[in-house]
Amino acid sequence: MLLKRHIPLIIVIGVGLLTLFGHFINNDSIQAFVDKDALQWFDIIASFAVFLGALNMLKLQIIKIIKKQKNWQYSILAVIGFVFAIFAGFFYRGANFITLSDVKDAHLAVVSEIVSKELKEPNPYAIQTKIAATKTDFEIDKIYITSESANVVIEKLKPYVGTIELRSKPWGTHVQTKGSLFYWMFINIITPLGATMFALLAFFVASASYRAFRIRNFEATLLLVAGIILMLGRVPIGGLIPWWTVSIMIIFGIGAVAAPFIKKRSLLLGLMGGGSFIIFVFGAYMGWNQNPPKLLSIPYIQDWIFAYPTMAGSRALMIGIALGIVATSFRIIIGLDKSFLGDK
Amino acid sequence: MNNKVVMLCAVFFGVLGVYISGEGVLFIEGARVKFASIMIVCITIYYYIDRAKSGEDIYLRKIPGLQALEEAVGRATEMGKSVLFVPGIMDLDQVETVTGLNLLGHVAEYTAKYETSLNVPVSRAIVMEAGREICKESYLKSGRPDLFYDDMVHYISDEQFAYAAGVNGIMEREKPAACFYLGKFYAESLILAETGNSIGAIQIAGTGSPAQIPFFVTACDYTLIGEEFFTASAYLSNKPELVGSIKGQDIVKLLVMIAMVLTVVFNGLFQAGLIAFDVLSLF
Amino acid sequence: MDTIKRVFISLGSLDRRIIFLIVGLSVLIPLLKPEWVSLPIRPRPESQIVFNEINKLNEGDKVLLSFEYGPSTKPEIHPMAIAILKHLYAKNIQVYGFALWPDGNFMSTEAFSEVSHQYEKEYGIDYVNLGYKPGAEAVVKGIAADIRALYTVDLKGTPIEDIPMMKDVINVNSFDFVFSLSAGFPGSTEWVQYACDPKNIPLSTGVTSIMVTDILPYVENGQILGLLAGMPGAAEYESLVEAELKRMDITGIPGKASGMMAAQSIAHVVIVLFIIFGNITYYIIRNKNGKDKI
Repeated sequence: MLLKRHIPLIIVIGVGLLTLFGHFINNDSIQAFVDKDALQWFDIIASFAVFLGALNMLKLQIIKIIKKQKNWQYSILAVIGFVFAIFAGFFYRGANFITLSDVKDAHLAVVSEIVSKELKEPNPYAIQTKIAATKTDFEIDKIYITSESANVVIEKLKPYVGTIELRSKPWGTHVQTKGSLFYWMFINIITPLGATMFALLAFFVASASYRAFRIRNFEATLLLVAGIILMLGRVPIGGLIPWWTVSIMIIFGIGAVAAPFIKKRSLLLGLMGGGSFIIFVFGAYMGWNQNPPKLLSIPYIQDWIFAYPTMAGSRALMIGIALGIVATSFRIIIGLDKSFLGDK
Repeated sequence: MNNKVVMLCAVFFGVLGVYISGEGVLFIEGARVKFASIMIVCITIYYYIDRAKSGEDIYLRKIPGLQALEEAVGRATEMGKSVLFVPGIMDLDQVETVTGLNLLGHVAEYTAKYETSLNVPVSRAIVMEAGREICKESYLKSGRPDLFYDDMVHYISDEQFAYAAGVNGIMEREKPAACFYLGKFYAESLILAETGNSIGAIQIAGTGSPAQIPFFVTACDYTLIGEEFFTASAYLSNKPELVGSIKGQDIVKLLVMIAMVLTVVFNGLFQAGLIAFDVLSLF
Repeated sequence: MDTIKRVFISLGSLDRRIIFLIVGLSVLIPLLKPEWVSLPIRPRPESQIVFNEINKLNEGDKVLLSFEYGPSTKPEIHPMAIAILKHLYAKNIQVYGFALWPDGNFMSTEAFSEVSHQYEKEYGIDYVNLGYKPGAEAVVKGIAADIRALYTVDLKGTPIEDIPMMKDVINVNSFDFVFSLSAGFPGSTEWVQYACDPKNIPLSTGVTSIMVTDILPYVENGQILGLLAGMPGAAEYESLVEAELKRMDITGIPGKASGMMAAQSIAHVVIVLFIIFGNITYYIIRNKNGKDKI
C-alpha cells in the first residue's frame, strides 16, 4: 500500500505544488527545475519507456506469426519494418564520404573533372578552386549509402591523389545525414506513408460532410452555409464567384428564413425573383461588374466568419478547456483525484 | 456571511500580502495578477469542494455522452463484439490523457461487469503502463480479475499516422461495436471517427483539442465538448468532493466572464476619457 | 419531374467509395494537368503582412527559422519553407535553422539542400542548421535564455564555436525575426508564450489549415505578425515572393503550392456539390415521406 499508493501520491502532490508555486519563487535552482529540469526528467523517462512499448508490440506481432492467427501475414511486415529501422539506426551507418589531400597541381584538373562529374556540377573549375583553397582534407560533398559505391569513385581518383580516405559520419549524426540508410528510409518509406495517411483525411472530410451537413434545423443550416462559404472562400475559386451569384445566394437564404412565415409559395417565389431582379439592376447601375462590393465577395465573407464568429467560439472553447485543465490539475495536485493510481 | 468565506478571504489577502511584501526578494516581480488569479481559482474550487463534502446537494445537468458510456458497452455485449478505447495520442504529461485514462477506468468497470472484451491500443509506453494499472484495478474492483490480461492495453506506435493506421486496422478487422475516443487528438481524429462510422459502431468522443471537436461532432454519436470532457471523471464517480470541484470550476468561469465584462466597460470608459484608470495596465 | 427526383434520390444514397473515387479524380486530374485549370492567386491580408515583415528586413539580419512539421504535413508546409528560404536568401539574410520536432531535422535538411545551392549560399556563413533538441517548451525557453547552454554542436556535429555566423548569437534577442513552420505541438504557440512575446521579438508563422483557428487569436492580438494558412497561404506567399524575385531580376524554380491550388479548388467545389445534392435528396425524401404519411 505504501509503495503503490502513498509514495506515488506524495511525489505527485510534492512535485505538483513545487511546479505550480515554484514559478513565483525568486530562486534560480527552483526556476531552473520548473522551466527545464522537470520537463527534461519526463523526456528521459519517456525515452526509456519506449523500450517497453516496442517490446510489447514486437511480442504481440511475433505471437501472431507463431500461432498463425488471423491476418498473421501483416505481422511479418510489422516485424520486418521494426528490424529494418533498428538496423538502419543502430547497425548500418551508410553516410560514407570521401576526403582528399595531397593533390599535386598537375593532377588538379583531372581530379576536379572526376569530382565535378560525380557531383553533377557543370563547372569543374569551381571544384578546382575549392580543392586548391582547402588547407586540410577536401571533403567531396556527396554521401554514399554503401562503401562499394564510394570505392568506385576512390578507384578513379587514386592514381591522382596523394591521400584518399573513405570515412563515415559519426553515429547519431548519421540518421540526419542525407545519403545515410536511415535518411533514405525516412524519405522513401516513412514520408510517403505518413503523407498517404494524412491524405485520407480529404476523402473522409468529403464523406463526413456529405453525410452530416443536412438542413435539419436552424443550427444545422447555419453550419452548412458557413461550411460551404468557408470551403469556397479559402481557395482561389472563391474569388472567381461573381457578385450576382453571391447576391442570389443571400436572397435565397433570406427566402429560406422567411419561408415558414409566408404561406403562399407563389408570393415567396415572386418576392425572391423580384429581389434578385432589383439587385441585378442596382448592381449594374452602381458598376458592380467592375468594382463589386466586399460584402458580395465570398473570400471577404469567409474572412469575416473566421475573424468574428469562429474566433469567438474558438476563444470560448479555449477558455473553457483551460479552466477544465486547471480544475483537473488542481484535483490531482491536492490528491483528490487518484485515478492515475487506478483508484477512482 | 459564512464563516468559511471570511476565513478563505482572510487567507487570500494574507497570502497575497506575503507575496507582495516578499516581491523581489523571495518572490519574482511583475506576477502579482497571475498569482492572485491562481489563488482565487484554487480557493474557489476548494470552497465548493468543502461545501459538497459537508453534504450540500449540487445539481449537475445531464451530459448525454457520459450517460451513454454504459449503454454503449451494453450494446457491444448484446452484439457479442468488443469495445475499443482510444486514450489519445499524447503522453501522460497532458491532462487530457490523464482524464482519458480516468474514463478508461470507468469503461473497464463496465466491460468487467458485462464480460465484454476490451481493446485499448495506445501510442505511448507510459500510457500503456498506466492504462494497464487502471484496467487491472477496475477489473479487480468489479470482482472479475480473471478477465483481465496485460495485452488488452497494448502499444502500437509513437508515430501519429502509424498509430492511426494501426487503430484503423483493428477497427476493420475486429469490428468493435463501441468505440471511445477520449484523450488528446490531432489530425488523426477524423480518420478514426470515420472508420468507426463505416463499421457501424456507436462512438463517443471527448477531447481538449478545439480544432478536433468539429470532426468528432460530425462523425460520432456523442461528443463531450470542452469542459464536459474534463468533468467526466468527477461526474461519473459521483463523489461529493469531485462534484463540488465541478461547481467551483463553473463559478470560476462566471468570475472570468464578470472580469471580461468589467474590463471591457472600464477600458471603454478609459478610452472615452471618463476615467484615468487603465485597466489593461493590470495585465 | 419524377425522373429528376429519382436521380437525386439515387445520388443521395451514393456509396462512399464512389464519392472517394470522384474526390480522388478531382484532385488527381488538376495535379497531372495543371494547365487545364489556371486560377489566379490573390494574396490575403495575413499572407501580405508576413511578406511585408520579411521584406522589411535588411541584408545581414538574422532570422530564426523553426521547423515543426513532419512528413504527413509536408505538402502543406514545406512549400512555405522553400518560399521563405528563397525570400531570405534573395535578401542576403542569415538563416538559423532550429527544430522542435525530431522530424523537423529531416524537413530542414531537405529544405536547405533544395534552396541553398540555387542561391549559392554557404553553410556556416549564410545559413546554419542547429537541429532538434528534445524538451518542447524547455527548448524554446532555453533558446530565449541562452542558446549555447542548449546547443554545443550543430546538426552536422560541428562545434558552435567553429561556425562563423554563430559568433554573436547568444539567445533569441540576437535575432531580428523568428518564423515558425508549425503543424502542431510544440509550435508557434510555444514560441509566442516563452520567447517572442516576453522578449518582444517579431514572430510570424505558417501553419496547417486545421490550426488556423487556434492561432488566429494571437494574430488578432498582434503577438504573431500575419499568418500563412495552409496550402492556400503557401501559394499566396509563393506568388508574392516570385513577383519580388522577378523585380530583383532573380530567376528560380517556381514553387509547388501554386500548382496544387487548382487541385484543392476543384476538390472543394466537388465536396460542396456533393453537400448540395445530398441536401436536395434529403429534402425530396422528407417531402415524400411527409406526403406518404398523409
